[in-house]
Amino acid sequence: MVSRLRGRRPMALSPFQRFYLIFVTLAVLGPFVPLVIASFAFRWSWPSLLPTAWWIKARETARLPLAWDYVFSTYSRVGPAIINTVAIALVVTLVCLVLCLPAARVIARENFRGKGAVEFFLLTPLMVPEIAIGLGILVTFIQLGLAGTFVGIVLAHLIPTIPYMVRTLTSVFQGLSKDYEEQSLVLGASPLKTLWHVTVPMIMPGILAGSLFAFLISTNIFLLTFFVGRGGINTLPTLLFAKISYGGSLDPVAAGITLLVSAPGVVLLLITERFLKEEVFASGFGA
Amino acid sequence: MTTAQPTSDPIRPRLSLWQRFFRRAYVPLMLAPVVIALVVLFGGALVMGILQSLGYAPLYGVNTFPTFAYYRDLFGTPGFWMSVFYTFYYATVPTLVGLALSVLLALAMRNRFRGKGLFQYVYKLPLMIPYLVGVALMILVFSNGGIAARVLYALGIIHTTGQFPRILNTHAGWGVMIVYLWKQIPFMTLIIYSVLLGLGRESEEAAQTLGANPWKTFWNVTLPQIMPGIVSASVIVFAFNFGSFEVPFVLGAGFPNTLPVEAWRAFSDADYTQRLSGMAITIFIAAVSGVLLFLYLSMYRWFERRRGRS
Repeated sequence: MVSRLRGRRPMALSPFQRFYLIFVTLAVLGPFVPLVIASFAFRWSWPSLLPTAWWIKARETARLPLAWDYVFSTYSRVGPAIINTVAIALVVTLVCLVLCLPAARVIARENFRGKGAVEFFLLTPLMVPEIAIGLGILVTFIQLGLAGTFVGIVLAHLIPTIPYMVRTLTSVFQGLSKDYEEQSLVLGASPLKTLWHVTVPMIMPGILAGSLFAFLISTNIFLLTFFVGRGGINTLPTLLFAKISYGGSLDPVAAGITLLVSAPGVVLLLITERFLKEEVFASGFGA
Repeated sequence: MTTAQPTSDPIRPRLSLWQRFFRRAYVPLMLAPVVIALVVLFGGALVMGILQSLGYAPLYGVNTFPTFAYYRDLFGTPGFWMSVFYTFYYATVPTLVGLALSVLLALAMRNRFRGKGLFQYVYKLPLMIPYLVGVALMILVFSNGGIAARVLYALGIIHTTGQFPRILNTHAGWGVMIVYLWKQIPFMTLIIYSVLLGLGRESEEAAQTLGANPWKTFWNVTLPQIMPGIVSASVIVFAFNFGSFEVPFVLGAGFPNTLPVEAWRAFSDADYTQRLSGMAITIFIAAVSGVLLFLYLSMYRWFERRRGRS
């Protein structure tokens, strides 16, 4: 009896669940197959299931760069967009980290009046529609001369990254006890030494996790960059928007840029799944 | 008089003025950077937005503050109310459908199955990439000459592109909603699944041992426990959908589109006074979503309290 109960614990999938999991897998990964194919196409006319002319063949005779050649040529402006995307994300991550670290420590460890209100306030960017933030920020920045500038975009990106950073760091601080720091202080280390030799190494995994999320969120932002940047500063998402905003069909260059835009997320997923537990992952995304 | 001398207290050593200040100011000081940053950015945006929507825009040579004319004009346009309807429709349906599908997925993921480790990677992929990637995939697969139509052609079900059902750029909003679902089911699943992991299975097993059937166990034991996860996931997703711009802009129908798209159109109009009505739409979006959020959270509190009492 006992052994039967124990054997039941990790239950087997029902046929419906099996079907559902397979369906989800296909729905997530399926569309990327034609996307990769489309990025290598030269002509792909109706109703053929595979390209009617491939880029590899066409590039030999073409006078202009095609498909991936075009994506990586100077015409496509992909190079500067990558640099902008990464530079903005790096600065945003750093500033966000500096702003959020002290707050996360206090929220995780101290009890004070209005704590709930502060925590809720730090989450509000997740609950306010992006367009309201975007347009409001834009008119303010026009007034201040920050619209269309790098600084303006970085400031705007701070809004959606702060909630995630605070959440991740808070959950990390909650997970480790004060004891080690207190012991270090009792044993005569100065507060600064304690911070550097005890606290920082212990929260390093959390800092890394929070930074990776902030970096990813920043690289994925479209609306705020598009509004505040006003076409002056292009990142990968705004470039993709310019490519697909008029609908129609997806040409090989658009397909290539779509793959590039997906790259940071894929890389991060591969890294983080390794060392982040599901709960930390979830807390990073607002659970 | 002598009793209250702090210096004579052997347990609490006398603190210097600076130390005493630091003790008191520690929490506010640590919270200050992030709170001030958000208040300035957020508050600044909100105040400027409200002022502009009320007619204060000296930058464009308009200063009729305070006037409600922009709101009056807006509320008097039938297109505006259509737009309100579409915004609600595109935001609500994916939230509800996505919630149901996510709970199912999270429950399925608790079981043991082959390839579970791999699946944990796969299902999170849409979460990690921008909405615009979803939009691009949507165009690739579901446009009238897209992959889905070609497959149907190959199977002999349709013969021209015109026979493929219109999924993109229609007021029914299929394309918009499918992209939301594709992006958001992983998000909601992740939240609900992590709540489930934290719960363990003891209470469910107890219910089943006591003779509850699986449906009853889910409804009376599991669901109430994952309610907090469900509430926070749906609030975030609904608020996002309500204010989403790029998805309805590319995949939605023409006029009238959702409120965010109309706000942007008004704002990028060559006529600067149009910007003020764009601002009025934006403030309307923020106000409606604020009210909804408040109602939803108070309803949830009421529900929790009632459950606690009964």
